[in-house]
Amino acid sequence: MAANRHGEMGRRTALGLGAGALASGALPRRAGAQGRMAPITIVINQSPWLDSFQRTVQLYERETGAKVDLDVNPFAGSLEKQRNSVRARQGTTDLLIMNSGWFAEMYFGGFVRPITDIDPGFRLEREVYTLGDTIFFDAEKKTMTPQGKLMSIPISPLIPLTYYRGDLYRENGIQGAPRTFAQLESNARKLHRPPRMYGIVQRGARGPHTVAYDFYPYLYGHGGSIFRNQAENDYTVTLNAPEGRTALDYYIRLAKEAGHPRTAALDQAEVIQAIVTGRGAHMITVVAAWSQMDDPQRSAVVDKIEWAPPPSIEGRPTAPGLGHWLAGVSRNVPDDRQRAAAAFLAWFQTPAAQIATAKLGGIPINAAAYRDPIAEERRFRWMKPLAEALPHAVNIYQFPEASEVIAVLELGLNRAIAGEITSVAALNDMSSQIAEIMAKNGYRTGKLEPLR
Amino acid sequence: MGGLGLLPVLNLVALGFFDVRWAEGQSTWSFVGTTHYAALTRDPLFGAAILNTVVFALGAVTGQMILGFALALLCSKATRGRVFWRAVFVLPVLIPGIVIGAMWKLLLNPEFGALAQLFELAGLTPVDWLGEPSTALFAVIMVDVWHWTPFCFLLFLAGLESLPRDVYEAATVDGASAWQELTRITLPLMWPTIAVTFVFRLVLAFKVFDEVYLLTGGGPGTATEVVSFTIYQRFFTEDRAGYGAAMAVAVIFLIFLMLAAAAAARRRVQA
Repeated sequence: MAANRHGEMGRRTALGLGAGALASGALPRRAGAQGRMAPITIVINQSPWLDSFQRTVQLYERETGAKVDLDVNPFAGSLEKQRNSVRARQGTTDLLIMNSGWFAEMYFGGFVRPITDIDPGFRLEREVYTLGDTIFFDAEKKTMTPQGKLMSIPISPLIPLTYYRGDLYRENGIQGAPRTFAQLESNARKLHRPPRMYGIVQRGARGPHTVAYDFYPYLYGHGGSIFRNQAENDYTVTLNAPEGRTALDYYIRLAKEAGHPRTAALDQAEVIQAIVTGRGAHMITVVAAWSQMDDPQRSAVVDKIEWAPPPSIEGRPTAPGLGHWLAGVSRNVPDDRQRAAAAFLAWFQTPAAQIATAKLGGIPINAAAYRDPIAEERRFRWMKPLAEALPHAVNIYQFPEASEVIAVLELGLNRAIAGEITSVAALNDMSSQIAEIMAKNGYRTGKLEPLR
Repeated sequence: MGGLGLLPVLNLVALGFFDVRWAEGQSTWSFVGTTHYAALTRDPLFGAAILNTVVFALGAVTGQMILGFALALLCSKATRGRVFWRAVFVLPVLIPGIVIGAMWKLLLNPEFGALAQLFELAGLTPVDWLGEPSTALFAVIMVDVWHWTPFCFLLFLAGLESLPRDVYEAATVDGASAWQELTRITLPLMWPTIAVTFVFRLVLAFKVFDEVYLLTGGGPGTATEVVSFTIYQRFFTEDRAGYGAAMAVAVIFLIFLMLAAAAAARRRVQA
């Protein structure tokens, strides 16, 4: 693999994992013949899970002899690169690693070719998470259901989890994980000793998909939502319902009274940094950051972090927002490269490859991996909370104009957190703007009476 | 050549009247008239961006002009170490924008930044310069002043060194003070250089992007939102090419207005 960042996996580790994967007999037969496959380029963003993905790709190359190049970009840069490639007469990248915020744009725009059109023999592994059925798309009905074609394979089933300091919980006599918002607030307040220790560190900065993504578990965990019912094509904006207000007021209160003073300026890297340097007692962040917690080279809290599904209000299930990544094959690249990309996906989805990816620091996309004995190991203690939360994950956007809505949320939420406007003004304003976007794009929409 | 120069602008103007959508891998352009321009007036980000950009441009350029002129005066009068000081003063303008962003983000970090540590040593509470809405724009202006003062310094120094010596000699003979020399000779003679530098820097400051993108991302809230960053978001992040183009055309128009106002002011002063 020619990757432009990060180090190599140890040869012994790779051989060990490869041997294990082959011994399990779970690798598809076509993988053995990959040496004849065309080389492929994967365009991918720089995320906490990139390192593990690179190592998994190296494993694929060693097992099959295939050649894979990774084109690594920042989050927003990755989207722009994908747009440029898929809109050209001939694309430069074969496999698109698409975020939950923009995969719909790629489906609706006709930029991704169904995997089963490329390889009619392609079979989706039985226990691969379909993540709100976002891997399927019916181009005629414009819906994401299993009745549509298989468009992509999950690469990283990212959702946020609650990270909390188990050692501080024990020292302070706090029992059990914070399962409800009331527990989270109470525990965060108990452990809040600024500036040495913040009760919680939140990701409140404005970015491409930053504060909005941080807010989803709060919003949906309080029973709120952005739209009334996307599955039924009812895009009435419900963000400024009382549940939304409770959620935003809670988020801001937590930031002000038990959180980091710079919440409105913190992005994901800074939030993780606060935790690994031992200055935060809680964070609700994508599970992908788990590998940094126990890495003695990067972390001062090795073996001190525990995980739980994001909290919710009493009587409601956890409701993390999907921030997953899907891999789809670009329609405008030569057929041999499309077939090679599909072959990689066929390999990647297998239980053996997914157990290997977990051992390399990745997040498995196949439920079988979560039943493997590795899930019982101390270092993989995030796997059970993740498996528990994944079935409740919410697919926030099912339409291609999602980036416009995200931009509205990023600005409105950040202004409210920064204290520039009140939560009520922010929610009413965001709701009006979102309703306008949906109406302009021809969706059945409407809005609630403004909050007072 | 003129046509080649104008072509991208004409294309941008045309795009501002269309909505671009993608389906089945093909783009569709729909004519929407002045809809995008009408929407500009309702865009909360655009309004905040215009205001911030004006404050940023005037604040940063004024600071750069005063500092640049003062440094150039000092350097032109220095009898020793001129080459050394000139090199030191010019250094910031040679550093790439991305490095400046990283450098200042570290320096201004309220937890481990050098500035915060200095505040702590002095017994003061460190300020979150980039994270507080009340200080973020000021901090970005300061970074821009640091970055671009050398540019003004160089132009002013070249201007000062080309002033006729005999006028100063005559003033000395007449017993003029240093202040009188500055206000009666140097400033009037330097006026054309000052005006050109001011307009040039003002136009460049109006287009600021990298410092905002790297330091604050336009936040917190809309505290550091500037027009180039808004255009970037609308055009690229949100993929609203038509609307983004209309916004860009509006900004170009504003810059032209600014240049026309500067030219009119210059004519009035000369008259």
